[in-house]
Amino acid sequence: MFHYDFDWSVLWRHPYGAMFAKGVWTTVSLSLVAWGIALALGLMVALCRVMPCRPARILGGAYVEALRNIPLLVQLFFWYFAAPALLPKAIERWLYANVRDLPYYLAILALGTYTAARVAEALRSGLLAVPPGQLRAAFSTGLSQTGTYWHVIVPYAFRIVVPLLSTEFLTCFKNSSLAMTVGVMEATGTASYIDSFTFHGLETTTAASLVYLATSASVILLMTWIEKKLHIPGMIVRRD
Amino acid sequence: MIEIRNLSLWYRRGHKVVDDVSTVFPNGRTIVICGPSGSGKSSFLRCINGLERFQEGEVLIDGKSLRARETDIHQVRARIGMVFQHFELYPHMTVLDNITLAPRKVLKQSAKDAVDRAMQLLTRVGIPENAAKFPGELSGGQQQRVAIARSLAMEPQAMLFDEPTSALDPEMIKEVLEVMIDLAGRGMTMVVVTHEMGFAREVADEVIFMDHGRFLERKSSTDFFERPDHPRTREFLSRILR
Repeated sequence: MFHYDFDWSVLWRHPYGAMFAKGVWTTVSLSLVAWGIALALGLMVALCRVMPCRPARILGGAYVEALRNIPLLVQLFFWYFAAPALLPKAIERWLYANVRDLPYYLAILALGTYTAARVAEALRSGLLAVPPGQLRAAFSTGLSQTGTYWHVIVPYAFRIVVPLLSTEFLTCFKNSSLAMTVGVMEATGTASYIDSFTFHGLETTTAASLVYLATSASVILLMTWIEKKLHIPGMIVRRD
Repeated sequence: MIEIRNLSLWYRRGHKVVDDVSTVFPNGRTIVICGPSGSGKSSFLRCINGLERFQEGEVLIDGKSLRARETDIHQVRARIGMVFQHFELYPHMTVLDNITLAPRKVLKQSAKDAVDRAMQLLTRVGIPENAAKFPGELSGGQQQRVAIARSLAMEPQAMLFDEPTSALDPEMIKEVLEVMIDLAGRGMTMVVVTHEMGFAREVADEVIFMDHGRFLERKSSTDFFERPDHPRTREFLSRILR
């Protein structure tokens, strides 16, 4: 009833072992760099959305609505198939000729900018949850607008939304698997590639799944540590 | 010296929260503003350091208008301390960081100078042992004393108090008032919005009664309590002094 000969060695024997390891590294590096972009860009967009300046708010709003409402897969295709064509011919040709890992970089851009829209909304809810008295208090001591946001409001808002950011961080890792559709050989792509040579998809998808479980576990551990570290005394705590 | 000329503020047209107020707060004086809630006291106070954007009139600090192009509002605020009803300490920072943030960032003091000064001030308000704690770990009275120390760390030339004891339990009001009395004794210019009539009577040089956005009466504190002119003042006093 169960005719399948397991061969787990496809995960480490030559040449698949090195391939798979490289795939895992690609998943990790792609997700981490995209996450960095998402945090920085997301913070800027969120700040735009709470500024008194109307054009900034409109711009921030437009960014969020455009990027969170178009499927990530479509955005990946845009960056891969359409965006280079929008560049001057010479630059486009130069890109394809000289940037060896172009799909990798475009996937980082796609994942980073997409996740930024979601991070922006998370951070915005944090910013809106900071009592307005904090703003008045900081201003009353002579801090500038920038100083007030940088030293008081943003660190406070960040602490409020750490749990939300953990979710986005996890999603970022898992979404990186879509990069295989534009030819990036990350963990999922490599798994399916090895399968196409060895017909051992069960082993390779299991391995890919374990990779995501492991990265997720690391993210959760990291974020739990950050959450504890940044906990504001006097606010609601989980008792354990 | 703080001078107010024909100040008006409204949040929506037709309802002036502050209505054509002109007044002077001389240096070294303690002035109490009292009046029923919703009379515009807090809004008025926030106009003095430009936290509220008023539509008409002028606020002059040492002769310089807040709204003048060459006035740097942040510089003005750095020299006028403000204490709030709900303390508004930064909950994610320790007491010490709360106090030293502005001196380091605005006055560009070195970390060591700022910390030394903060510890002096914490000693002065009576809670040096709480420097490393977070605001959420302190009582209301202690938090308000930290908030006062935070303002004093900027070496302000005047202090604004916005109902500093209204959110406190009765037994904590005293510890905050004592700090304020000490400040007044040292010649700090203070404008205090409060319902603490005992403080007004004992400490204030002058008392102002505010209602519907206007200053209805301003008198030396003895005269204010013993010979109030305006019927609204008398009514107010009869209600809160029992």
